[in-house]
Amino acid sequence: MKIIGVAACITGVAHTYMAQEAIEQECKKRGYDVKVETQGGMGIDNELSEDEIAQADVVIMAVAIGIEGQERFEEKEDAGRVLTLNPAEVIRNPTAIIDKAINLVK
Amino acid sequence: MSTTMKNIINDLTKAFNTGVSYMMPTVVVGGICLALSLAGGDATAGKGMVVTNPFLKNLGIIGSAGFSMMIPILSGYIAYSIAGKPGITPGMITGFIANMPIGDNHVQTGFLGAMLMGILCGFLARWVKKWKVNDTIKTIMPILIIPIVTTVIIAMVYIYILVGPIGIIMKWLIDMLSGMQGGSALILGLIVGAMAAFDMGGPVNKTATAFTLALMAEGIYGPNGAYRIAVAIPPLGIALSTFISRNKWGSDDRRMGPSAAFMGLIGITEGAIPFAVKSLKTVIPSIMIGSAVGAGLGMVHGVECMVPHGGLIVIAAVNKAPLWYAIDMAIGVIVTAICLHILRPTIENNETK
Repeated sequence: MKIIGVAACITGVAHTYMAQEAIEQECKKRGYDVKVETQGGMGIDNELSEDEIAQADVVIMAVAIGIEGQERFEEKEDAGRVLTLNPAEVIRNPTAIIDKAINLVK
Repeated sequence: MSTTMKNIINDLTKAFNTGVSYMMPTVVVGGICLALSLAGGDATAGKGMVVTNPFLKNLGIIGSAGFSMMIPILSGYIAYSIAGKPGITPGMITGFIANMPIGDNHVQTGFLGAMLMGILCGFLARWVKKWKVNDTIKTIMPILIIPIVTTVIIAMVYIYILVGPIGIIMKWLIDMLSGMQGGSALILGLIVGAMAAFDMGGPVNKTATAFTLALMAEGIYGPNGAYRIAVAIPPLGIALSTFISRNKWGSDDRRMGPSAAFMGLIGITEGAIPFAVKSLKTVIPSIMIGSAVGAGLGMVHGVECMVPHGGLIVIAAVNKAPLWYAIDMAIGVIVTAICLHILRPTIENNETK
């Protein structure tokens, strides 16, 4: 299972990175491949490449604002493989969110 | 609620959040620079805060520049969130127009007008993006067609359809206020205060400013005193609320509290805008009630201010009842914080560390 994601909150100081950590930790616990791009106050970090996006099974969008490069995920969206939610939800309950994301593949 | 309606509301919430997200650093840079500059000035009758130190003057230039950028950035990124890159230019240009005086009545719609411009530009640009055109034209769509079509249409709609009626209403408000001069001081104060807070720099606020300045020219300083109490209350009241009602604000907002308090003391109402944009229906009523109470009390206590600037820093220029000036302001601030506490929902699972 390969999971990628984007995290972006309003101020881009705390929640963005907390959401990234929550997704990464939960996925690593389960032994999934994971990479989360952050679009915070410092700009884009850990940017996802086209290949990584193409190979991903599921995309988790933990975003509260409009992000840069949304169009990169259009194909995944058409395939119904994108889960969009608020960063706070992932931080609060990563297990349930990853379960929900996995269900998109089944 | 139908799904399309829900989608639109989701889009709008996200768009406002995006706008605030990009605007926030600008508010901080502009507010802090302007406040430091003004804090080093002298309150001068008829002129406001006069800054003489050259370095502080230059700091003031940076601050004003930040504040003039703030509104276009807000509208530009609201449009960006809805339409992507092609939305930025139309959003910024129309937001800039919303924030400058237009027509005979000098209509300025401030941040509320800019939010509307951002939304309209966003949706129009998104629609133009979907036009089916041949490949030659397609290459020039993002840099030529979309920005020009969107900017010109929305700006013209604003100038020809919106500005006229708003100007007429502003004129009517000034006439009405002038008619009330000499009537009940309390009611006049309540109205001036509520107007000051309503749109923070928009047409209603500007009408109240114009009214109090006109009276000052005639040597009547009371309404100006009340108005100057009112302008400080929104940011101060919100700041107090973020300090005491910690479970009603997200961590993002709480972090902005101290800088809002600072701006309030210096009389910069704009410090409240980022909070208001995110939740118009809880913030606007609260600050209107708080400012109305503060200004109403100020009128009753006969506070008179000689300078066209607000906040606690002009207290030296309050020539009548300066103590009441501070007390009435504090009461307005507390009322605002209480209203916010009542109106705002408690955020569950909010880390209040």
